[in-house]
Amino acid sequence: MNGGILTLFLRREIRDIRGNSRVWPLYLVFPVLGIGFPVVFALLAPLWVDGGRADRDAQVIINLVQRLAEFRGLPPSEAIARYLLRNAAGIFILMPVALASTSAAFSIVGEKTQRTLEPILATPITDRQFLVAKLLACTGPTVVVTLVVAIVATVLVDVLTAQRYHTLLLPDRFWALGAFVLSPLVAIAVALVTMRLSARATDPQATVQTTALFIIPAFLITIGVFGKLLTTYFPALVAGCVIVALADLALFRSNVRRFQREEILTRWA
Amino acid sequence: MISAQGLTRAFDGRVAVEDVSFEVPDGRVFTLLGPNGAGKTTTVRLLLGLIAPTSGTAQVAGHRLGRGPDANRALRASCGVLTEAPGFYDRLSAWENLLFFGRLYELAGPRLSERIEKYLRLFALWDRRDSPVGTYSKGMKQRLALARALFHDPQVVFLDEPTAGLDPEASLAVREMILELKREGRTLLVCTHNLDEAERLADIVAILKRRLLACDTLDRLRAGGDGQQVLVRLESPAEEQAPALRALPFVRDAVARGNELLLTLSGASSQVPRVVQVLVQRGAPVLEVRPAGPSLESIYLQAVREDT
Repeated sequence: MNGGILTLFLRREIRDIRGNSRVWPLYLVFPVLGIGFPVVFALLAPLWVDGGRADRDAQVIINLVQRLAEFRGLPPSEAIARYLLRNAAGIFILMPVALASTSAAFSIVGEKTQRTLEPILATPITDRQFLVAKLLACTGPTVVVTLVVAIVATVLVDVLTAQRYHTLLLPDRFWALGAFVLSPLVAIAVALVTMRLSARATDPQATVQTTALFIIPAFLITIGVFGKLLTTYFPALVAGCVIVALADLALFRSNVRRFQREEILTRWA
Repeated sequence: MISAQGLTRAFDGRVAVEDVSFEVPDGRVFTLLGPNGAGKTTTVRLLLGLIAPTSGTAQVAGHRLGRGPDANRALRASCGVLTEAPGFYDRLSAWENLLFFGRLYELAGPRLSERIEKYLRLFALWDRRDSPVGTYSKGMKQRLALARALFHDPQVVFLDEPTAGLDPEASLAVREMILELKREGRTLLVCTHNLDEAERLADIVAILKRRLLACDTLDRLRAGGDGQQVLVRLESPAEEQAPALRALPFVRDAVARGNELLLTLSGASSQVPRVVQVLVQRGAPVLEVRPAGPSLESIYLQAVREDT
């Protein structure tokens, strides 16, 4: 694989994101949420626990959290803070789903509407190169933003809470695996599914709408169903990463096999 | 060289191109004429290996058309193509667009920069090289697309409507460029609706309407055309004489251009003295009479109408 072609598409994609008013606001909103949620949860946990001592319902939740193997023996406010942070890590799954799918929705159909697809396919580029370059262009910015946000959130949470707990709340192994492994894998899966739609579409808006109506909810429901398991049982999170990685491989191979230049040029262009 | 043998392509049972065979030797301009939907773009796509033929084969720049998605990389690397629509990234500058496509053609470093500069200067886009292509006029985009088709030094060049959207001066520059490329020994396939352009450029003219209706040099096509054409040069404006000549039973058509009359006669050249006699009787001194083949326009229209 020619690295030059990959960076070429990546750089062009970044320029496109900067110029696309339907895409770049997402790259502002999600980082704010990705940093804001963990910081707010970390800061509010002790207030909630302290204020919740008199509240029977709150006490029930605190007791339940403290019964989890991971948090057993921890002071209540630290246990709750760690529990909330683990749940806040869900934003690092939501981010790649939203960002990668939006970029991928424009990926191939965008080339068609700009009439650049045929000149590109008329060059010596191979299908595999084209699809890998497009995949990298869709997921690269998403993954980088997600990782940067995860690192910034980790540092901020630790700086703001280290003095109180005398330990670093982040990253714990769930947070690390979720943000740095599962999140990029999910981004790739979402991008691959959306790219397949994009190749068979003639209108970027239709692809964005289909993505918003079907693909994003499908991924979120899947994450929601397995969310509890993934945030409380580490082997389940590891298994989740392996399953998504295998799904990525299968989807990529399928996309390469099903990428029909002539069908795209003659039927969908 | 381009060589097509029995190229046929059907889409869902509808035949777009049928049994197309022709040969274009190195350093020749082959113009492909035909009405909209005649299969010109499909033929170019077939020859570039972008779509696979249902049957038949072709050889382009020494590369035989292969089957499979990545079988025609070397063929495509040897070809330049101007697609029907220019197709650029509007947010990128002309320089950045050519840089992007140059890298896809596996050019890099100073060689790529030199090529980009050469062709941007050649097509008078150098001063606007840093402006986003979205701000370009249609003609500027067309010139940039021509630069993209040529800047990687291809042996075979496919040009789909190369002068569409260009002003007369830019059209002339493009035609001169095509002739220059021909002098350099490159092979060009030009799809056009502009018959005058085809007449000026073509070594070989093909008329396509799903299948090839005609394919030969212009001289041979003219020789085989129906009806005899004669050019009469007068001392006075020819417009005044045209109606009288059209009234003659053996004159099918009389077209006046300045002091010249282009007559299409239904009979043999034995009718020419009668034409001269009529003109002299009408007080129009005749300076010259010479045979002229049928125009490409009449050859084209005849071929296309006969096929309808």
